[in-house]
Formats: sequence, structure tokens, C-alpha cells
Amino acid sequence: MSTPTPKPVTSGATIPLDVGHAPTAGAPIRQSNLWKDAWYRYRRNRAALFAGAVFIGMVAFCLIYPVISPHDPYDVNFADARQGPSLEHPLGTDTFGRDVLTRTALGGRISIGIGFAATFIILVIGVTYGSISGFIGGHLDNGMMRFLDALYGLPYLPFAIITLAIIGDAGFWAMAVALSIATWFTTARIVRGQIITLKENDYVRAAKTLGARWQRVLMRHLIPNTLGILIIAVFLELPGVILGEAFLSFIGLGIGPPDASWGSMAQEGYEVYRVFPLLIIVPSVAIATLILCANFIADGLRDALDPRTRET
Amino acid sequence: MKKRSKTVLLLGAALALSVFLTACAGGDDDGGQAADGVITVNWGTEPPSLDPGLATDTTSSSILLNLMDPLVILGPDLEPQPSLAESWETSQDGKTVTFNLRPDGKWTNGDPVTANDFEYSWKRTISPELAADYAYQFFGIVGASDYNSCEKNCDAMKDKVGVHATNDRTLEVELTSAQPWFVQQVAHTSFLPVNQKTVEQFGERWTEASNIVTNGPFELARWDHNSRIDLVKSPDWRGADEIQLERVNGRMISEGTTAVQAFEADEVDATVGGLPPEEMSRLKALPEYAQYPSLGTYYYGVNVENVPDVNQRRAMALAIDRRSIIDNVAQADQLPATGFTPDGMPGFDQINPNSEYLPETADVERAQELMNQVSNPAKDVTLVINDAPGHREIAVAVQDMWSELGINVEIQQQEWAQFLESIGPPPGKDIDTFRLGWIADYVDAMNFLELWTCDSGNNSTNYCDPQYDQLVDEARATPDNAERYDLYGQMEEKLFGPDGAMPVLPIYWYTFTQLENKSIYDTFGINQLGQIDLRDVVEGDTGGDENV
Amino acid sequence: MTGFVIRRLLWTIPVILLVIFFTFVLMRQIEGNPFRTSERAVPESIQRNLERRFGLDQPWYVQYAKYVQGVFTFDLGPSLVLRNRDVNEIVRTHFPPSLQLGAFAMIFALVFGIPLGMLSALRANTFLDYSAMFVSNVGFAIPSFLISTLLIYFFALKWGDWTGLPTSGWDSWQSKILPTIALGLGPMAYFARLVRGTMLETLQQDYIRTARAKGLRWRRVVIVHTLRNSLIPVVTAAGPILGFLITGSFIVEQIFAIPGIGTYYVDAVEARDYSVVMGLTVLLSVIVILANMVVDILYGYLDPRTRDARS
Repeated sequence: MSTPTPKPVTSGATIPLDVGHAPTAGAPIRQSNLWKDAWYRYRRNRAALFAGAVFIGMVAFCLIYPVISPHDPYDVNFADARQGPSLEHPLGTDTFGRDVLTRTALGGRISIGIGFAATFIILVIGVTYGSISGFIGGHLDNGMMRFLDALYGLPYLPFAIITLAIIGDAGFWAMAVALSIATWFTTARIVRGQIITLKENDYVRAAKTLGARWQRVLMRHLIPNTLGILIIAVFLELPGVILGEAFLSFIGLGIGPPDASWGSMAQEGYEVYRVFPLLIIVPSVAIATLILCANFIADGLRDALDPRTRET
Repeated sequence: MKKRSKTVLLLGAALALSVFLTACAGGDDDGGQAADGVITVNWGTEPPSLDPGLATDTTSSSILLNLMDPLVILGPDLEPQPSLAESWETSQDGKTVTFNLRPDGKWTNGDPVTANDFEYSWKRTISPELAADYAYQFFGIVGASDYNSCEKNCDAMKDKVGVHATNDRTLEVELTSAQPWFVQQVAHTSFLPVNQKTVEQFGERWTEASNIVTNGPFELARWDHNSRIDLVKSPDWRGADEIQLERVNGRMISEGTTAVQAFEADEVDATVGGLPPEEMSRLKALPEYAQYPSLGTYYYGVNVENVPDVNQRRAMALAIDRRSIIDNVAQADQLPATGFTPDGMPGFDQINPNSEYLPETADVERAQELMNQVSNPAKDVTLVINDAPGHREIAVAVQDMWSELGINVEIQQQEWAQFLESIGPPPGKDIDTFRLGWIADYVDAMNFLELWTCDSGNNSTNYCDPQYDQLVDEARATPDNAERYDLYGQMEEKLFGPDGAMPVLPIYWYTFTQLENKSIYDTFGINQLGQIDLRDVVEGDTGGDENV
Repeated sequence: MTGFVIRRLLWTIPVILLVIFFTFVLMRQIEGNPFRTSERAVPESIQRNLERRFGLDQPWYVQYAKYVQGVFTFDLGPSLVLRNRDVNEIVRTHFPPSLQLGAFAMIFALVFGIPLGMLSALRANTFLDYSAMFVSNVGFAIPSFLISTLLIYFFALKWGDWTGLPTSGWDSWQSKILPTIALGLGPMAYFARLVRGTMLETLQQDYIRTARAKGLRWRRVVIVHTLRNSLIPVVTAAGPILGFLITGSFIVEQIFAIPGIGTYYVDAVEARDYSVVMGLTVLLSVIVILANMVVDILYGYLDPRTRDARS
């Protein structure tokens, strides 16, 4: 399809400002598909490209390094404790003599993992809720949106804390659930808005008039178009979730020993920062980098997929 | 359009202005300190309650002992010394103790302190309505236990409690049996008096600074919850002339790192309540570092139903390298535990079993030998800890130590309330080992050893030995110290001797660590029960700068 | 307009009921005994007495009804764990510091963020722009615990003699500076980026070019037209951010030893102090709702188009 995606009008908080990103004047109109188009535009945004590379690099590092590292991140060895950076230990060792670089990678697995897991849950709930509300419309839609409005009143972090307390032991999925419970509302709204817009769209109506069944409409038209929005949503939610996990771990409600997440590493680091500042700086910088990358990627994706709108 | 944005701007400005005004109003002028006779102490936490009937923690206890005047106080060797009670007598059979009160005790509202105050207060603490945690401290008194658990007809029960003010200055106490440590126990905060009029007038708010009535060396000048608690010397106190401090301002900084920073920035003169274990290596080098012995034991309990073979438990005890934990993790020069009752308890030499299973450094060979004798060892063991600082690190160290025996440890970190639920008693089915500590309530080993009876409300190990219980009962009825200490020794042998059952694995005996400004270093201190007596503190000449 | 406001206000009532219900149900799911604070187990009879005293022995619907009644008469009940205090008093004493901290952080973020963003947009792609955006991004992404730690270490400890700033507390006006910065740096950066982005877009629009072409003074053009439009997304974001600042500031509170609601909340959940948790959650929800509502109203002022579309 070469028709550009229509402007999504979300019910509520945003005003699409009609902005001139001037299209490449004079270039021939290509018959390419949405994704190739988007990728092309994305590539041209250098910041987003760089961010994407860094992001992938970090994820790869966290996945691979613990496997290839010469150090066992769980091995307690007091003789080596609290050493500064050296050739053998590029980031030094912690209070137990464990290599900080390896533990950072491990912590990354957990922090990023929880980030994606929570985002996944957010998407699942949000998409389901928003799709049903938007697609069926009418009174159900009204009611569901009112209910959603009510849910907005639930404070995010306090409920995360309560949820963790209920689940009991703060494992990987417990954290993911706790962090997603009070954050899926915006995604639901966006999805609903998108579904509604697309529903009204001409070609969808045409398909319906032609007698296509609603499942077909859904699969062939609505969902692929929403996919773009969803991918953007992933990278928008990710920073909040990762920061949330760091916060919860920092106050001690997070992953327990001997595993570590960046947040719990930061907590250990906070207690020793006077003698060993690296231990709090490293995970914080890692978190910051990830958040920045996610933001730039989200910006880049947004520009790439919906060049005529600027969602604020 | 313009009008609208103007309105918005005006609204915004109004909001900002009001916020600023409240900010400045809430400010406080005194940067904190060091005029003569004024010091600032960080107590470490907010005292949950300054009601003697309800106070259970060391912070409340410390502050209360400076605000109030108990019947007896503990001397440097923890012997009872007269305070409000100028003397006391114990009957021949040891079951009646009579306290004779001084005539000059006074409440801050002008009332004299009488024996009636004590009768009222003790019965109040025992009462079922107050539902005090520490009511059990009184159960050595006749009728106390019944009154406390009564559900109706309580007034009748109340009258039967063996505490009577025979006149204004005489308090008679009837005990259920001879308890030689009773007088020492009376030094505890739960035995402090409260002013009946005040309590009845203000109800639960009677401890607020504006309502509270006390009778001790200091008065509560100010209490901003979780923020400041200030004490001033009471001018009516009988020993006021010997007290050098005029005012003790208090902060409540619970985050260890923040507390140390406040000390280093000269915002507090002393920080109490523990130092972050992680910073110990740096702090111990400071001249302001101070360390004190304490009567407390840090131990790992074992659910003997899940780890039934005693040889495995012995092996686990042998594999723990206590010296390494103390030097590398806890780092406060604690003492490696060789038994359960801590060093410093009267009679320690007789009581301590010097257990062969509790070596200072690990004896891995012997541990392996014992493990090999275990026919069906528990290879996967859960270790439950609560999430306060320090426990995690020790758990990780122990996890590593036990892995050498082929034991896989899964550390479960829980928050406090959940942790308490898990260990019960009875402990949860999947709890194999857990971390705990026990600090002395009063100065007698019974306090520690009675934990391991079959029906003790604090025995989460499922250990039950009727012979042990028998020894405990015998000791309870033995007023003679030497004989009693001998019985205590037998109890420790039962737990940790060559045939010992090892339901718990003691690791170390606590110390208290604090930072104290050089100007008060010599006189500021904390006793083994965690109490700080401000009467003795003298602010010396520092010659340094104590500005904020 | 007033109709809109009244309708929104009325709407908050069922929302609060819902929040109470959720919190009530959730709290009951947590295992734990609010009356057991230390290793010493609570004797049976005492446990029973305490439960009776606080009404915990009654069926759940009775408790719920009583609680709802309490909320609407502004009586949030006694604390189960802090036996000499009740929730109302806890709120009265500890809510103002959190509110102040949140408000100050918000003001800081707006006062520094908006001009920063404007400046960046007006000098787009210059060194000034890049450095401003760099600072913004750093401030936005670095977690508040590191920022707080660095601020305390340098400004209160190392250079404390010159700056006169304390390392913790919330009494003198000096003590409020560092926490405000620590908490407000993130939102400030967020606003700066937002304003920059929207201004850049707006500046390219046709009607702006027309105004300039017509010869209107450039500064007037910028301020009157661009800023107004750029403020819209800021206002939109401000609501949830304000809500978050007030309800999620517990790390800053803990590190700076600020006696606010945040630490009480975490402690209360850990101690299973049901009444405090419920009371505080209801309070926090009301704040979030109010913040959102204020935003919606402001939004209505700034952009009449949406007001009709949404109501």
C-alpha cells in the first residue's frame, strides 16, 4: 500500500498539529510497502539510528557477556573484594569479590527482561481492552472508557508496591505484573483511538460493504496499521517500567540475592558510594543509557511511521 | 485570548506564591547546634511509641529512660541500683518483693510520684484492652497472665493481680515463684509509671509533646514525627545540677548512608542505631568511631523437620566461617558465637559450652565427614531472610560456604511482616533455614534459653525436647545464681554439646557501633541493652568547629 | 465551562469509591499480621483483643462499609501499628512536606524547563541547543537516586562549608533546595525537550511565516503565538507528572530524610498497617485525580476545540 496511514485521533490528550515535514520534493512516488518506507525514513534520522544501535548493543552485551566472561558472577571471594578497575576486572569488584562488569550484564538481563515483560503485559492488556472497546463501540465503549478514566486515579507506584506485597516473593514475573498493573491505561486509549479511526476509514468501510467478515477486516486492515503504533508504544513504556523497577529494587522490594537487577545493584552501591562510587554509577548510567536510547528510538519510529503527525 | 492566558498566568502565580509562603513559614531557625550544653543526636528511627506500655524497640526505650525515672536502673555491670526506689526487700521465699519509693519523685504537672502510679501503670500494661506486646514481661507476677488473657469479667481479674500500693511510698509485688532476676527486670521500660490523669485525659494522644507528663531527668520539648525529637533538661529533677547537657536535639535519619553524611557534615553530634555495614572499613578508621558490646545473638535457625539429620545440621554449623563473616561482611568486630547465650551475660563462663561445632573459622573437613554420614541429606535448602541491610550479604556468604558441602541454597528475601508470617511459629512447610537475632530483654540467660522450649512462642525450629523443658522449669525455680548458671550450662550442652541437637546455628554476638563527636566521645555511650543514658554525657572542649 | 467543571467533580466520587474498593480488596490479600512487629510472637489472647479493638474480627463487608463511611466523613481511622497515632494526623503532619516537595519540583521544572526549551528551539542546531539538550537528556534519564547522591555529596558534604546546604532534612529553606532539584531535574528535562520539539514544529508553520512576513515584531510573534501552542503539550504532561511527583517521591524522601508521605507509605505496606495504607492510597488517588482534572480544565481554557469534543 502506498497510501500513507491516516492521522490517528486519540480520544483525549493530544492535538495533532499539522506539521510540515516536507516530503522529499521531486522524488518519484514509490510503490513500496509501509515497512520499507518507514525503515527508509528511520534510517535518515541519525540520532534514532545511533540509539537503535546502542540499544541492540546493550541487549546483546547483557545476553552474551555472562556466557563468555571469565568470571563467575556468583562466586564469593573476599580476598578480591572492592578492587578498583583493572585489566582483569574492567569495572572492579564488589563487596564479595564478584566482577562488576559481569554482574552488570547479568543485572541487565533482569532489568531489561523485566522491562520487556512488563511492556508485553501492558500491551496485551491494553490492546485487548482498547480493541474491544474501540471495535464494538457504542455503549460498551462508553462504559469501558469511563471505567478507564476511573482507573487513571490509581497511583502507579503505590499500587506496584501493594501488588508486590500480595504476590509475596518478588520474582521476575511478579515485578513485571506489579509494574504493569497501573500503567496500561494509556496504551488502551491509544489502541482504542486507532481502532476507531481505522474503523471509520474509507477503505475499511469499503471492505465491509463488499461483505468482508469482521475478522477479516480486523486481521487484514486494523491490526497491521495498529502495529506501528504498538511498536512505538513499546519504546515509550519501556523507560517508565525500567525506572520503576529500579525504584522498587532500590527501596528493597525487588529481586533478591544472589541475582541482581540494576536497581538492586544501585542500592548496594548507594550504601558504599563513599568508598566505591562505581557501584552506584555503573547501573545508573546503564539505566540512563537505555532510557535515552528508547526515547530516541521511539521518536525516530514515530517520525518514520507517521510523518504527518506529531504526537505530543 | 489574551485575557485567558493572563488568567492562567495569574492563577499559576497565585499558586506559586502560596506554596512559597507556606514553605517559608514552615522553616526553622536553629541550624541544629552546638551551643554549650546542646547536642544533636540521630536516633536512627522514629520511636513508634513513647507510651511505656507500648514501647518495644530500643529507640523508644532509650528516649523513655531519659524522660522517666524507673524504680531501678542498671549499673555498669548490669546490677540493679536504686533510682525512684530507694530500697527494696525480697521475702525469704523470694516470692514477694517490696519497693520503697523516694518521697521526692515529681511529675512535670506538679503531682508527686506515688506507688499508686506504679500499680495503675503496671495493671494498665497487663490489661487486655491495651493489648501490650510486652505484657508477657509481667507474667512472673501473680494473676498477670490471667488478667491479660481474660475476655470478660476482667475487673475481678484485675484486682487479683499481685501488685499493690500499700501506701504512697510502698509497692508490694507478689511473684508466682522466686525470680532472682526480677529486680533487674524492673529496670525495663515496660515497668515505668505513667501519669493516670494525663492518660485518662488525652487517651491515645497523651504522648504528644504538648500533652505528655513525665518524671525523669529530661522533658520532651518537641516531637515532630519522623523529623525531630528534642529533649530539655528538667529543672525539677533531683540531680539536675549534675547533668551538664541542657538540650538534646534529636533527628530520625534511618537511611544509614544519609546518617553518616549528616554526621560528617557536622549536623549531628552522634549517630545511633547502627552504621551501614558496607561502610565499616572506612568508618572504623575514624577517631569518632565507637564500638560497644551488646547482649544479642545473630543466628540461623533450622527447621528440624526439613533437615532432620542432626549430623547435617552440625556440618552446616561447622562450615560457617564466622571469622570471615565478621571481618568481611558484618565488619563491626562482633564476637564469633560459641554458644547461644552471649558473652557479657552474668555467669557466662559457666554457661557457655564452647561448642566444638561452632568454630571461629570453618572446619570444612570435619563438616564433610559429618555430611558423609548423613543417609538422606537435604540438598536443596531454602534460606529466608528479611530485607534489612546486612542480612543479604551474610546470606550470600553462607550460601557460598554451604555449597562446599554440596548443599544448594535458595535465598528468599522477604519483607518484615511477611518474613514473620513465614517463620511463625510454626514455620512454613517450605522454610528450611531462616535468619534471626535475639537481643536481651533483661540480664539473665533465661531470657535466651527459654526460647527453645517446646511451646515457646518464639521457637520456629520445631525442636522439642521434654528434657530441655524440664531443665528450664528447674532453672526457673532456682534462685541461687551459681546453681542456676549450672543448669543453663546444661541447657546449652543439650543444644550445642557433643551430642547437641543444633536446632539453631549461632553466628556471632552483636556489637553496637556508633559515630560520636570528639566533644562527647568520652562520656556518650550505650549499654548492652541498647540504652543511652544522657545524664552522664558531658560536652568537652573540642577546639573544633561545630557550625552547620 | 462551569458545567464541565461540576461534571468532572461529581465524577470523582465513583472513582474514589472504586479506588477504596480496590485497595481494600488488595490489602486483604496480603499475608501478614499488623500486630506482630518483632520476632516475638503475639500471644493468642492479645491477638484476639487487638483484632476486636480495631474491628478486624468483623465480616469484610461490614469493615468495608464502615471504612467508606469513614472516608466520606474524613475520618480515616487509627493506625494499627503506630498505636498513638491516627491516619488523619499522619496525613496532616506528613502530607504537606510531600506536597511542598512536589510543588517545588514542578515549579522548578517549569521555570527552568520551558525557557530552556524555548532557547533551544530558537537557536536550533547550535552549540547552545546541543548542550542544553545534552543536559536535559542527562537529567531526564539518570535515575533520581544517583542525582540525589551526587547533589548531596558535592553540594552539601564536600562544598558544604561554602554553600551552607544541609545533607538532609526538611526544615530550613536551605534544606529544600537540593531535594527540589533532585526531584525536579527529570521533569525539567522532559518539559525542555517537549517545548523545543513543539516550538520547532510551530515555527515552521505557515501562519507563523505569514505573521513574520506581515512585519509583526518577531519577539511578539514568538511569545504570543508559538508559546501558546507549545504550552499545550506541557499542560497535558504536567498533570500526570505532578501526580507522579507527589506520589512517587519516596526515594528522594528517603535519601534526604524528608518526613513525607512516601516513606510512611512504604513502611505501612511492609508493616501491614491496613488503615494507613488505605487512607494514604485514597489520598494519593484523590491527588492524581485532581491533578488530572486541573489539567483538563486548563486544557479547556487553552484550547476550546477539545473541550466540546471531550465532554
